[in-house]
Amino acid sequence: SAAARRPWRLFGAMCLLRLPRITQPLEKEEEEVAALMQQVEGELEKSHYSDHEIRKLEEEEQLKRRRESLYDEDEARGKTVIMAQDLEEKWEQKFLQFKAAPRITDADKSNDRTSLNRKLDSNLMLLVKQKIGNQELWLLPQVEWQPGETLRSTAERAMATFLGDHIQAKVLGNAPYGIYKYKFPRAIRTENNVGAKVFFFKAFLQSSDLSQAELKADYLWVTKKELGDYLKSEYLKKVNRFLLD
Amino acid sequence: SCSSWLPQRVPLRCSHWQSSLLEVRTSPPVRAQPKKKKKVDVKKEQAQKERMKKKLKKLEKAAPELIPIEDFIAPLKYSESNRVRSLPALSPEESERRVLLLKKWCLFKQKQDEAEKKAIKALVESQQEALKELRLEGEELYQAAIRRDEGLFPFERDGPSYTPPLPGYDPPEGKCIDVTKVYTQ
Repeated sequence: SAAARRPWRLFGAMCLLRLPRITQPLEKEEEEVAALMQQVEGELEKSHYSDHEIRKLEEEEQLKRRRESLYDEDEARGKTVIMAQDLEEKWEQKFLQFKAAPRITDADKSNDRTSLNRKLDSNLMLLVKQKIGNQELWLLPQVEWQPGETLRSTAERAMATFLGDHIQAKVLGNAPYGIYKYKFPRAIRTENNVGAKVFFFKAFLQSSDLSQAELKADYLWVTKKELGDYLKSEYLKKVNRFLLD
Repeated sequence: SCSSWLPQRVPLRCSHWQSSLLEVRTSPPVRAQPKKKKKVDVKKEQAQKERMKKKLKKLEKAAPELIPIEDFIAPLKYSESNRVRSLPALSPEESERRVLLLKKWCLFKQKQDEAEKKAIKALVESQQEALKELRLEGEELYQAAIRRDEGLFPFERDGPSYTPPLPGYDPPEGKCIDVTKVYTQ
């Protein structure tokens, strides 16, 4: 046949990332400098009094003068005056009534690694259980390349195979981010079937609702640090190279 | 052939004054000035037009006024003396603490920047290795990979907030009235 037999089998794999939803906690140095900036630039040293503060100072002066003098004009007239201090207390009460969503979710507490609602301050990536040879392994979703398609299409196909066609993801370009090359065990290795090259592509998950998907295989959403619990060491080394913390 | 007694539907000058074609046609209503002053008026009008043109040319020649940047102009009421805060002077310990903190910050940021550059370098190396291996597998696959992805940019994404969105949150109602001044040149 005219087509040359490839000694390496090609695979396209997708590293699908759910990006962080909340900010990471500040480092100690960052907190100290933020406090200093607030003190100098923000509230105390470099700024002048605002209208609200001027009003508050004047009202405090008035109150002091009224206490010192015996003649209480406003109370004689029965007029109620809303002071700046009252306004501040009202605002404070309103703020305390508001309850924000927690940064540590239920999924965090139960360590439910199938949930997308976990570790909201980190990247989460998709791992699926696949059969390679006679082993069941945790991998980034991959499928074998078919002649006629680009490797990016292979990776997209891998994503659709495990998550369905309606998955919304932004693939980051046409070029692969990394490669894992391995030789088949001697038992099955031949001159024309040496091993496999797995090309990794990266995508950002756009939709947060995956209730329609995830029916196909065992899956997990894990952070970069947790990858070591599931991936084999050589594979992990190659994947870590293109993952930012 | 159309009958001869039907009047032609030709739009007449000043026909808005003559609503029905059956009315007796008189001349259009005459305006105020009698026709005697015609020539003098024309000269006056021409002189006026020339004066306007000269004014316009002068305005156009002058350089356009710069639009003031409102943010850079502090309103005068904020430079009054009663606005200045009365604060105690900085103790030497406090100034010392600040200087040391800023030095620590300098080092922290330097380490952060180095780590970022190292991560980007690793990213690029990983991609180069992948592309090298891909080229060994076939030129068309390689060419497809290095092609620019036209759909990638513009890329938009909302940044993370301090707390995650609260499901079922009903934000308070309000209207935003924009009072920014708009300047035209």
